[in-house]
Amino acid sequence: MGGPDALLAARLAAGDDLALAEIFDRLAPAVYGAALHVLGDSAAAQDVVQDVFVDLWSHPARYDPEAGALRTYLTILARHRAVDLVRSELRRLARQERHCRLAPGSAHPSPGEEVAAAEAASVVRDAVQLLPGEQRRVVELAYFHGLTCREVAAAAGIPEGTVKSRLRLARVKLETMLDRQLLESS
Amino acid sequence: MTTHEPVSAPGALPAGLRGRVLAASWQARAPGRPWPEPAEISAVEAFRRAADTLDRLLGTLGDGDWAAPALRDLDVQGLVGHLIGVEEHLQRCLSGDPEVAGTDHVGATQPAAARQAGLPAGETRADWRRAVNRTLGLVRGRAGAAFPAELALHGMRLPLDALLVVRAFELWTHENDIRLAAGLPLAVPDSSSLRLMTALAAPALPVGAARTGLAAPVSVHLVLTGPGGGTWDVLLGSVGRDPAPVRIVTDTVGFCRLVANRAGPGDLDMDITGDPAKVGGVLAAAAALALD
Repeated sequence: MGGPDALLAARLAAGDDLALAEIFDRLAPAVYGAALHVLGDSAAAQDVVQDVFVDLWSHPARYDPEAGALRTYLTILARHRAVDLVRSELRRLARQERHCRLAPGSAHPSPGEEVAAAEAASVVRDAVQLLPGEQRRVVELAYFHGLTCREVAAAAGIPEGTVKSRLRLARVKLETMLDRQLLESS
Repeated sequence: MTTHEPVSAPGALPAGLRGRVLAASWQARAPGRPWPEPAEISAVEAFRRAADTLDRLLGTLGDGDWAAPALRDLDVQGLVGHLIGVEEHLQRCLSGDPEVAGTDHVGATQPAAARQAGLPAGETRADWRRAVNRTLGLVRGRAGAAFPAELALHGMRLPLDALLVVRAFELWTHENDIRLAAGLPLAVPDSSSLRLMTALAAPALPVGAARTGLAAPVSVHLVLTGPGGGTWDVLLGSVGRDPAPVRIVTDTVGFCRLVANRAGPGDLDMDITGDPAKVGGVLAAAAALALD
């Protein structure tokens, strides 16, 4: 019947509910740990665990036993989902920040949101430090000091278009670095 | 064949996470159903496909193939004659003739098989095809509701759709008998037809268990892998609770060949959990479902 993971994959495709339960019992702690490592928040990590196992059950063919162990597949999937959550949170924070600048005093984040924001920021802080100096400078001014692109341009003494292009490049690099750091830290 | 011990208990995780994740999974995709799910076809369509496939095979056979020993004392031509006899009995059944209810599947069709001796092979093939077309005409010409809820044929009492799936199963089985006789590779039905066959055979295991005289209750978690498969929990033997269910994982086509009595348990690539004696009882029950 092939190796143990190939057998489990075949059982999942056949709709074997016991197979999913077995996989959960064996690998959920590792999946949960991987998500928790990235997110630092149990509730969010549990959501990732649910996403990962529902995805495995709903689309069993996405896992290819020839490509690697089921444990590796699930933990990598969990990290990717967790990173997606962090990115999503960062985007939300950026939107909120912009909104606050346009309408000061209109937003009052809850204590939970403030904790989540702090955790999310800590995940990317180290990555920001690895950016080239000129990109790091505009990122810090725009995101950590809350300046608009025009204000960043004035503060850095560069054209506004250059600010936007450096921010764009920085975001791409940050996403790549964030992925690599999270994978290497497993 | 490999066996496994039951898996260990879950590790340290937040309380309630296991139940929540499994419930969400079952909601996303119901347990038991294969992925990908084959296109749904009717029982009539499965029967028609099986007949067409066999017809194409018969069209490729040479004179020597028709005379090759195929099954029991029948050559290929005699086996096709047996199928003509089955169609004739099915048509009598559909017409409400009670005499075919309890007749023996093999013995009662032996005259039809013998009739083919000495006839040109092309004539036998044409006779059989006409018989199949008559069956299809009868079934399609009347709404399913026009037939009794259960039809009785050759010791079986089944709804029309189930009876047609049995017929598709039989045509595929004899197609492979003929392929073996002619030295050709075995054929596999399409996944939609296989799904109908497994969905009929797996829940029918208790019928096979009754035929083998299985006494003690045996609960089996049957997992059929590959196209047309699925998962079933079936209780065989006497009514009651089996404290130690067994699990059988095997491939769909192999299981169907076992049900057709064209493969033995030893021929199957299986992964089992539980008492091997109980597993043997389940496999024997599967083989006892065969018509011939």
